[in-house]
Amino acid sequence: MKTKLFAKYSRITILVNIGIFLMASVAFFYTLHFVQLNQVDEDLKIEEEEILLYVRQYNELPKTFSVDDQLIEFALLDGPFRKRYFNRTNLKDKKGHIEDFRQLIFGVQADGQWYKVTVSKSLEETDHLIKAILWITSSTILLILLATFIINRFVLKRLWKPFFKTLAAVSEFKVNRAQGIEFPPTTTEEFGQMIDTLQQTTQQAQFEYLSLKTFSENASHEIQTPIAIIQSKLDVLIQDEQLTKKQSTTLQAIYAAIQRLTRLNSSLLLLAKIENKQYEAVESVDLKAKLEERLADFTELWQAQQIEVTSSLHESAFFMNSELADILINNLLSNATRHNYEQGSIHILLTANRLTVSNTSRGGALDKSKLFQRFYKPSQTKEDNGLGLSIISQICDASGLTVHYNFDNGRHSFIIQKQEH
Amino acid sequence: MKVLVVEDEKELAQSICDYLATEQFICEQAATYAAAQEKIELYDYACIILDINLPDGSGLNLLKELKEAGKIDGVLIVSAKNSVDDKVFGLKAGADDYLTKPFHLSELSARVAAIIRRKSFDGKNIVQFDMLELNLNEKTVKVQEKKVEVTKKEYELLLYFIGNKGKVISKGAIALHLWGDDMDMTNDYDFIYTHIKNLRKKLVQAGAPDYIHSVYGMGYKLAYSK
Repeated sequence: MKTKLFAKYSRITILVNIGIFLMASVAFFYTLHFVQLNQVDEDLKIEEEEILLYVRQYNELPKTFSVDDQLIEFALLDGPFRKRYFNRTNLKDKKGHIEDFRQLIFGVQADGQWYKVTVSKSLEETDHLIKAILWITSSTILLILLATFIINRFVLKRLWKPFFKTLAAVSEFKVNRAQGIEFPPTTTEEFGQMIDTLQQTTQQAQFEYLSLKTFSENASHEIQTPIAIIQSKLDVLIQDEQLTKKQSTTLQAIYAAIQRLTRLNSSLLLLAKIENKQYEAVESVDLKAKLEERLADFTELWQAQQIEVTSSLHESAFFMNSELADILINNLLSNATRHNYEQGSIHILLTANRLTVSNTSRGGALDKSKLFQRFYKPSQTKEDNGLGLSIISQICDASGLTVHYNFDNGRHSFIIQKQEH
Repeated sequence: MKVLVVEDEKELAQSICDYLATEQFICEQAATYAAAQEKIELYDYACIILDINLPDGSGLNLLKELKEAGKIDGVLIVSAKNSVDDKVFGLKAGADDYLTKPFHLSELSARVAAIIRRKSFDGKNIVQFDMLELNLNEKTVKVQEKKVEVTKKEYELLLYFIGNKGKVISKGAIALHLWGDDMDMTNDYDFIYTHIKNLRKKLVQAGAPDYIHSVYGMGYKLAYSK
């Protein structure tokens, strides 16, 4: 699964932020701790000086009095005590709570007697301070996470809007449509660049497509004339009574080839014309009437091949180009006949929204993915130019219809259906 | 009777004239708009075969001029464009028929014959060939006043043959004429054979000579029996 860009981005920023905040709070904690300890030590030193001053003046120990956070103790010693050091320990305060204390321990001589003096100062306040810092840090991190989430959710979404709109517009883009893409306006430089590039690329593609389309239509038109000349010359040539049997056979082959060429060309021309929107005039087409008319035309042909035809035609109006409807019906019926065999069968079913033509066939199922591609020839029959199905699909596309293919029990079915709106 | 072929493709025009020119037709050619204009002004034609795309103008304009001048020449438009608009426009402008390139000369000939028939025998819709008599309104066939029962296709086939009498018509041209342009039944001419066989049988049974001859499997020809 792919992650959204801003999810990726915020994941990084959030992690980095948390990291920085953790590092900062650790540094802050130690700095504060050190400063605080220093302060306490200063206080302890002042107390020491006061005690030493008193002893020097009066040659006796001062009266000790303890306040909440400061304790002073004198311990009688046998010998001299010249050490002086700081210590940290847990002591009970006056209320009996165990607390963290900082101590300065030194020796003093009063009235010829050595004493060990311990001045203790509570560190409780420092602990409070550190707790407060930790609390602030964690709530800041939470706040950042929340803010990032909100930014992603609302601000980034809005910032990325032109991007997603562009994406939607591009995915709708079809090179064979005349109108270009309508891009959303943007004030973001990167999106602006992207839109400009897309605009140029799609316009270029449309232009190329258009010239290719025009080219193929023109080419097909131009080919008509030489074919017409060849065919007319053949029509004149076969009038010659001096022709031998061998020459006649050759001529027949030329005729057949010309006919294939003609059909191929007119199929290509038809495809080009559908693509070039030359069958735009639509009307309500009575498919039942059209089918009945065409069925009558085919009857003799089917009888000759002993193909059994059953049809069930209901009233049905398709909103499409009438000429294309004719071609569609023709192609469907021709296909069902051509790929059939003697004593096979054809079923035609027309309902209000759907036309189904199915036929028996010797060939197996057609490849659904290639079926409607141009020049797809599953049967490799010479007569088939591989454009018939492609024409059917193109007509359906142009007429708001869908075409489906099914193969079941040795029968090919083509189902033409109105698109649901 | 004179026929004018207005067509800038010289070879095509030549083929048309070669095919149409018989004892009863004189075929003339015009390769440009200007040449056609001149000929139309000078002579009356039974039928004008008119290409739409001429190097120096549109055949449709020529058609308009013709109609404005009150000429009654029949007009058959031939065009490389199989466009409905052109067709509708041409027929509205007064053309009698429309044919798309490429076409078989037999098809052209049958259509020219139909146009001339319509122009020359107003209302009288009988076509005769030797002992055969076709009624165009009723679409019936008689041999010596005796009605022959033929199917719709057989009738069309016979009329097509008469429009091309004495000419060899290729099987492809017959298929195209009977089944239309877009019925994709290429190279399968068995059903044509069946139709022709049936038609011949019916005519012979009605007492007519066997007019329709097969020519080397290439096609068929309607001719007086020797």
